[in-house]
Amino acid sequence: MLLKAEKIVKSFDGFTAVRGADLEVAQGEIIGLIGPNGAGKSTFFNCVAGDMVPSAGRILFDGIDLTRASAEAHARAGIGRTFQVPATFEDMSVLENVMVGAFLRRPHRHEARDHALRIIEMTGLAAQASQRARSLGTPGRKRLEIARVLASEPRLMLLDEALAGLTPAELQDAIGLVRRIHGIGVTLVIVEHIMEVIMTLAERVLVFNQGAVIAHGKPDEIVRNEAVIEAYLGRGHRRRRASS
Amino acid sequence: MKRGALIGLALLLLFYPFIFTGPFYWDIGVTFLLAAISASAWNIVGGYAGQVSVGHSMFFGIGAYVPLLFYQLWRLPPVLGAPAAVVVSLLLAAAIGMPTFRLRGHYFSMATIAIAELIRIFVGTWDLVGAAIGLQGPAVGRAWWDLTFRSELPYYYIFLGVLAVVLYTTVAVARSRFGFYLRAIKADERAARSLGVPVRATKLKALMLSAFFTSIAGSLYSIKTGFIDPESGFGILVSVQMVIIAALGGAGTLFGPLVGALILIPLQTATNTWFGGGGSGFTYILYGGIILILARFEPGGMHELWYRAAPRLLRIRLPRISHAA
Repeated sequence: MLLKAEKIVKSFDGFTAVRGADLEVAQGEIIGLIGPNGAGKSTFFNCVAGDMVPSAGRILFDGIDLTRASAEAHARAGIGRTFQVPATFEDMSVLENVMVGAFLRRPHRHEARDHALRIIEMTGLAAQASQRARSLGTPGRKRLEIARVLASEPRLMLLDEALAGLTPAELQDAIGLVRRIHGIGVTLVIVEHIMEVIMTLAERVLVFNQGAVIAHGKPDEIVRNEAVIEAYLGRGHRRRRASS
Repeated sequence: MKRGALIGLALLLLFYPFIFTGPFYWDIGVTFLLAAISASAWNIVGGYAGQVSVGHSMFFGIGAYVPLLFYQLWRLPPVLGAPAAVVVSLLLAAAIGMPTFRLRGHYFSMATIAIAELIRIFVGTWDLVGAAIGLQGPAVGRAWWDLTFRSELPYYYIFLGVLAVVLYTTVAVARSRFGFYLRAIKADERAARSLGVPVRATKLKALMLSAFFTSIAGSLYSIKTGFIDPESGFGILVSVQMVIIAALGGAGTLFGPLVGALILIPLQTATNTWFGGGGSGFTYILYGGIILILARFEPGGMHELWYRAAPRLLRIRLPRISHAA
């Protein structure tokens, strides 16, 4: 297993946001995490990314215990992440943003720059390379975040609603980009509300509700799961499924 | 255009004493250079890394006191005290950086003010360093190595040389991985950390590099004036001046501190000349006014103003000065 998160618990002053969640990710998989707002997905995600230390449980990445390790150590180990609200370096250019990621494995400026330019080309940002990040719209920023993480050469990428808020055309572009990233050997865990993305990309899906994993399985199994329909997809989904 | 402006600026600074002749203008030139060195040193941690220290007078004061202490205690040339002052400043930077870099934003600024004020009060009561009276250097130079010149001219070129070194270092930093990391930390610490940036170690290195040059600025000041007291070494105005000069010109830019010093120092000299000793409090009013104007209208300083206004005024398209890429 590339990633093994065992019985993760995260509490804040008496409130438990994640209650014993498990996640196993094999090399080369695409996993989807879904669930209603406040279900604990992002908190779980933050624990796996090293942004938060779990109150209990264990996180192993490629056999190395990262439970209490910093976010920097997670990045060095090969776990990269994007943020729900894009956290680009606003006053730096697109190229400079991506170079920050590239510097992780390529300390020399010229190597980092060349690598960043390749990533920018791959992610379709070449035309904006010299623009400041603040001049990009939301789709551009989300793409830039993906490019920046990709430049750090992660083995596992955690995408936190990286495709939310895109138009249908932008969404198809972004799905294509995620496929290309997967194609170069990066394992992916995707938190997403857009079921089209989950159904199209994910090989397995975990469903969170009230801090716990209430279901896991293949996407077509998940959309038929009564507990999932009740907690997240809603009765409308059941009716649509029945009519189709 | 950028290269031409750089060469023009270098030539202007090199030939300034021959264009504006006489002790009055030379004194303004030396004061300008010292302010530019100090603000450029502050700019490394305050501008590029966004860690707004308002206590940099602690490093300036150490830089100023140690050379004169070398003279007072052992009659050694004050300049020999400058490297010792750098060592003390680096140790202090490491000691205060480790706990204070856990703090963010205003809390870090407040912590640096508190530490600098504690040091100022302590120095003001410590007999070894002259307590409230301060220390004096050699009244008359015993040899050239005492660096006591009658004319301002030698000081001008020594200070200019140091400024060139500070600016060269700043360019090298800005183009390196370290410089990229500083700017990433300033923009978003959490995102920087998620990309493997060692945030605390990077901030600490920036503070130490900044302390290194601030200490040298302090040494230059005391060697030139031959006198230092707690207020002129460790006073809060010393720190505030560095912050204001960098912010006025554009914090986190190479030439921001130079532009800030170019505006503030002649302005300060003019107000001192107009109001004399009776207007000594005017400096505080001037600083306060500049802070208000910057905070309300242009937090990016003259650098941002220029990049917004120049294309409209001159009908030209300015390339963004890229630090590195």
